[in-house]
This record gives sequence, C-alpha cells and structure tokens, in this order.
Amino acid sequence: MPQDVEDLKDLFENAPCGYISVEPAGRIIKANQTFAAWMGYEGNQLVGRRFQDLLSIAGKIYYETHFAPLLRMQGFFNEVALELLCANGSRLSVLVNAVERRDDAGRVRFIRITIFNASDRRRYEQQLLEARRAAEQASAELRELNLTLEARIEKAVQERMTAEDALRQAQKMEAVGQLTGGIAHDFNNLLAGITGSLELLRRRVAQGRLSELERYIVAAQGASKRAATLTHRLLAFSRRQALDPKPTDMNGLVAGMEDLIRRTMGPAVVVEVVAASGLWTTLVDANQLENALLNLCINARDAMPDGGKLMIETGNRWLDERTARDRDLPPGQYASLCVSDTGTGMPPEVIERAFDPFFTTKPIGKGTGLGLSMIYGFARQSGGQVRIYSELGRGTTMCLYLPRHFGEAEAAEAAEAARGIEAPRAEQGETVLVVDDEPTVRMLVTEVLEELGYRAIEAAAGPEGLRILQSNARIDLLITDVGLPGGMNGRQLAEAGQAVRPGLKVLFITGYAENAVISHGHLEPGMHMLTKPFAMDALASRIKRIITGG
Amino acid sequence: MSVLQRHNVHVSGSGSQAMVFAHGFGCDQNMWRFIVPAFADHYRIVLFDHVGAGGSDLSAYDPEKYATLDGYTADVIELCRELGIRDGVFVGHSVSAMIGVLVARRAPELFAELVLIGPSPRYIDDEDYVGGFSEGQIHELLEFLDSNHMGWSQAMAPVIMGNPERPELGEELTNSFCRTDPEIAKRFARATFLSDNRTDLAKVGTRSLILQCSEDVIAPPCVGEYVHRAIPGSEFVLLNATGHCPNLSAPEETIAAMKAFL
Repeated sequence: MPQDVEDLKDLFENAPCGYISVEPAGRIIKANQTFAAWMGYEGNQLVGRRFQDLLSIAGKIYYETHFAPLLRMQGFFNEVALELLCANGSRLSVLVNAVERRDDAGRVRFIRITIFNASDRRRYEQQLLEARRAAEQASAELRELNLTLEARIEKAVQERMTAEDALRQAQKMEAVGQLTGGIAHDFNNLLAGITGSLELLRRRVAQGRLSELERYIVAAQGASKRAATLTHRLLAFSRRQALDPKPTDMNGLVAGMEDLIRRTMGPAVVVEVVAASGLWTTLVDANQLENALLNLCINARDAMPDGGKLMIETGNRWLDERTARDRDLPPGQYASLCVSDTGTGMPPEVIERAFDPFFTTKPIGKGTGLGLSMIYGFARQSGGQVRIYSELGRGTTMCLYLPRHFGEAEAAEAAEAARGIEAPRAEQGETVLVVDDEPTVRMLVTEVLEELGYRAIEAAAGPEGLRILQSNARIDLLITDVGLPGGMNGRQLAEAGQAVRPGLKVLFITGYAENAVISHGHLEPGMHMLTKPFAMDALASRIKRIITGG
Repeated sequence: MSVLQRHNVHVSGSGSQAMVFAHGFGCDQNMWRFIVPAFADHYRIVLFDHVGAGGSDLSAYDPEKYATLDGYTADVIELCRELGIRDGVFVGHSVSAMIGVLVARRAPELFAELVLIGPSPRYIDDEDYVGGFSEGQIHELLEFLDSNHMGWSQAMAPVIMGNPERPELGEELTNSFCRTDPEIAKRFARATFLSDNRTDLAKVGTRSLILQCSEDVIAPPCVGEYVHRAIPGSEFVLLNATGHCPNLSAPEETIAAMKAFL
C-alpha cells in the first residue's frame, strides 16, 4: 500500500470521531474503526445495518420524524444530539453531523455521517443544566422571599403601630389617671371645706350662734370658687371651656396685671413691660388671657431661680401666607403678647413636648404639667397660636398670637360682678322661664329670681319649655341649660323660642359650652352665656341687665 | 390574530378545488416543497403549520386544547371553513393523516378525497393489533423527552429557550426547516404516540388513499394495511420508498400515486 494511501486509511480508521457512509435509505456501507470500537462491533458487522437501527427508541423516532426530513430538505444536519445502543447494551451519547453526497446528476450517492463522542460533554451539560436549575430555583426562592419579606415588614410595621397605639393609649390612661387622681384629691379637699362649713353652719344655726355664721359661709364660698377654677382649668386643657370672648385691649389687661405680676415675681426678678402703641384690639376671653399671662410669668420666674429679667411685650403682627402657614394660622393681622425671661432656656426635645398635657420639667408637686397645654388650648380655641423661642442658658420667649378684632374694646365685665353691686329688683310682673334638667339648679335659679321679685316658670326639658314659649304666657327672659334631655338642646330651644317670640332674650347657663352648640363662643344677638358655677349675685345682675337691655 | 395568521397559512396555485397539505409530527409545511409544484397548476394549494410548529403563533399553544388530536382537528376545520373550502383534497402525513380522518368524520363536507401518507391509528401494539411499538418503548420515548431536549446540544437548549427574541440561535443549531419548539414538540409527541383512533376509521365516508412506505419504523406496512382494511372503499399503495417521509425521499413516486388516485 502506498504511503499516502496508508496514511489516509489511518486517518479514516483512527480518527477521533466515528465515520460512516450510508446509502440513501440508511444502510451502512462503511464504518471506521473508531466508530466500530465505540459500538463494540467488528467493522464489518455494522455494514448492511441501518444507522437508525443503532439509535435508542427516542432517537429512532426523532431521527425519522425530524432529522431524516431535515437532511433531505437542506442536504445536511449538524450537531444533532442522539443516543446510540452499543453491542453490550450500554448507551453512548453522541453528536451527529450528516451530509448528502450527490453525483453529477444530483442523485444522492451516499450520506456521510460523522459521530462525535459526547459522553463527557453531555455530563458537563447535565451539570450545567442542574446548576442552571439550581440557580433558577434559588432565584425563585429569593423572589418568594422578597415577596414575603414585604408582607413580613408590613406586618411588623403594623404590629409596631398597634403597639405604639396601645402605648399611647396606655400613656393617655396613665395621664388621665394622674389627672383624675390629682383632681379627686383636690376636689375632696375642697368638698371637705364646703361640706364641713355647711355642717358647722347647720350646727351653729341649731345652736342659735348666728354671729359665727359668716366665717363658715366665707370658707364654703372660697372652697367653691377654687373648685370652679379647677374645673375651668381642666376645661381649658381639653379646649372645651366656655370662652366668653370680648374685644379686648391687651395693653390695658397687662397694665391691670402688672402689679400682681411684680409681687408674684419677687424682688430678684426685674419686670419690664413694653406696650406697643396703637395695639390692635383682639377678640378674646379676658379672664383666660389673664390666667395665661400669669402662667407664662410664673414659668418664667421658675426658669430664673437666681433672678433675672422678665419682659412683657405687646405688638402688632402681619402674618403673610408663608409665615402664617409656618405657624399653622390663617394669614392676616394678629396682636401678640410675649413673655421673655433670661432663664435656663429649653433644649429642643423639651420645646417639642412643652405643650403636651402633663409634660413638666418641674419637680413632683411643683407643677401639674397642664399650664402650657392649657395656654395652648386657649390660644387655639381663640383662633390664635403660641410659639416658643428658647436658647439654652440664655432664656425663653413665649409668644401668644391672637387675631385682630375690628372694633373698640369693651370694659371688662368681670369688674362689675367683682364690685358686688346690689342686685337690682324686678319690675312688676317680669317673668323668667327656667329650663334645666337638674332640679337643684332649677331651684336655686328660681329662688334667686323670686328673691329679686321675678316670676319664675320652670321646665325640665326642651319640648316642655317650648310649649310654654308657644303659649301666651309673659316671658321676659329664657334661662336654659345647653345640654338638655328630650331630643332638643338649649340652643335649639332658644332658636325655636325666638321663632315664635322674635327678640326673645336668652341666657344660657352651662357647665361647659360645646363648640357645636355655642358656635365657638360667638352668640347670636339677644343671646348670652353664663358658665356654671356662678355666684348668685352675678346671676342676678346678669338677669337684670339682659331684661333691661343693658 | 386571525386563524390564517395563527397557522401561517399560505394559499397558492390555480385551480378551483382546494388541496390542503397537513404536516406531521417533527416538521412543518416545508416538508411539502417537492410535492406542491406538481399540483399547483390544477389545485388551490393550502399550506399551513400546526400551532407549535414552523411559523405558527406559538402563543396560541394551549396545552389543554392540544393534549389530544381533537385540538388539531378543530384547527383544521376552522381554517378550512375560514377559507371556504368544500369538497377539497386533504393530504396528511403521519399523525396528520389521522387528523384528516377525524376532520372527515366531523366535517365531511370539507373534503371529497383524503390522501393519507404513513397513517397510524395507534402506535402501541394492542393484543392482536401491531402498532410497531411496545408500550414500554413509547413510555421510554416520553420519559426521555421529559428529561432531554432532543435534537441539539442540551447545554444550548436553555440558551435558545431563554432567548425567545433571538430565534436565530435555535436555527443555527438546528435548521432552517421544520422549526419546532422543543417543549411543544414533547407534548405533540405525547398527543401523537398515545393516540388511538382505530374506531374512527370505519366511519370515514370519504374516498381515501393510503400511501405506505416499504420500510417505515414509525408506521410499518402492516399498520397501513390495517388502515386500508378499516376505511371502507379505501385504496392502498405500497411505495418502494423507505423511511417515513416518501414526500421527501421519493417525491416522484408519491406524486404519481396521488395523481393516479385523484
């Protein structure tokens, strides 16, 4: 055999791939040594067999349905993954290329099939596929985790919020507990004073020791007044106090308080008042404003244990859109009342909580923690605002902003009652309708009225009162509680009464004035308000003034 | 998408009678390329791809609908009605031969003639019936398909599957003809090789020709003879051609047999 033929034969027989030639119908004409060895046959044992018969069943079906048609259509196929069945029954993974060889007339002479052993490669592929499946599963799990993570975070946040709500509720209850505990204590003291005085009063009357009555009366009245003040404070804190806003000149109010403030501050504190000229009038409850001013001054004093300077300053302020928004107020004109001290100042975290009810930096027993929250409640209810400016170690300025009122200030009415003028007697036949569900109150009011010479008609509920108003009876004044049973409150009764008796004069007496009922303290013409508890003298002079149109 | 787009329908030829060609498992309408020219002058040629094959709309593939041959049968009826076909010629290869039988039963007005190339009403042997495969062999096929991507390098299959926007990846590795989505091919294999339509044969009232290859692994001659016996009045031609696709390996012989019948 010539050298080059031998060389080519070696190349064919011992190539690293299987070579076979098959006739067009698939019968093997020639197979190389490499392929025969892989398959476990002698070379000539393969000749005459069909290539597709060497395939596994799946390979056979796919070959017939997919790759034979493909070979026929495009003349070749490449890298088709198939499985061969070896002589010993084992399987060999292979990649198969096939190409048609045609004669000059275009007829298929034979098909050359090249077979690559793909065992290793198939193993890598298997590993690759498994790695890919693992990666996909991991990614799916991660996605799942992400999804549940969101839900878990949401749940945790929800739980946290619930816990915070519960904590806030608990804090509130604790605060209410402190408050009611403190109030119960104070009230019991006051009640002890009142009931004790009344008891002694009864004994002394029984003993005929009438000359000693005065001191018990004074004691009982004093305790009652302090109780009234206490309830006022509580109502102010809850912003449900019945404010009696009047056009007020704050300069006059400050001037009236100046002497009291100086005495309260003591000698170590220098008090300076800077009253702006042309100060705008504000519509405000003067008594509450006095309380607020006093409270601020006492806070200032407490911030200056070693003495210092207290400055009270009034002023006119224009709040533009931005400033007003910043202060949570409608833009417009405001009168300000500022109290500054040169005391210890407050850190930001204290400023932030300064208006919280019961928040106090004072030692136990020195402060209720209600002062500033009361002032805040009062300012907000009056359509204004309170702001704190403070620097640690330098001092604090507290400013009250109250809306400007267009109109002249009125002289303080409180002064009138305080003067204790003799209650005026009634004219002939003047009649007052008293509506209150509380018999004691009805009785007291009726007695005061009769003492003053008025005729009193009583009713315990709204509808009953209205029937009287709709009758021909003479009614010069309607005195009614605001909160009434029977589906008609005092305000509704008053309005229904005015509908049948235009110009009917009305005096509301109330423990506290619900905003909805008294419309933020702004009363209709002819309507007046007196808050419980009230002095009988105040009631008497108020009645007379209303009836006489004063 | 219209039914014609869904099936990548191509209508050509000049004739009044329609000739509808239906490809079998593993291929698409390309497999008729050597046959169609012989009939284009006298027939209205209709070529289409089953959903999942060739240029069909793969998104229309509904595993439930196509779990049996009924889904494929419904498609053929739908597209033929869309084209207004009546009394046409149906040429079906392999599993589509049986789909043609089912169409003839359900919508006999569509076709006047059936040409069934390599038909098999049941691939699995059953008592006296010889289908060519044992039950074990068919299950080996289906199990193999469940864990392997037949036909091309397995490592590349995920690449192809993961890059639907780059179909050329798949084409380079496989071929430009007979494109089949491997996942759909698996299900089509299940629908095909588990089918048993033997009882449908006797109810065919359409004139039928059975073309049988001499050596066919998929549908052996005895199966073709069974079909011939079962379909009343059918004609049977045993071709010299071997393999399962005489329309590709022996187009002249196939054409001649068809023309003789028509």
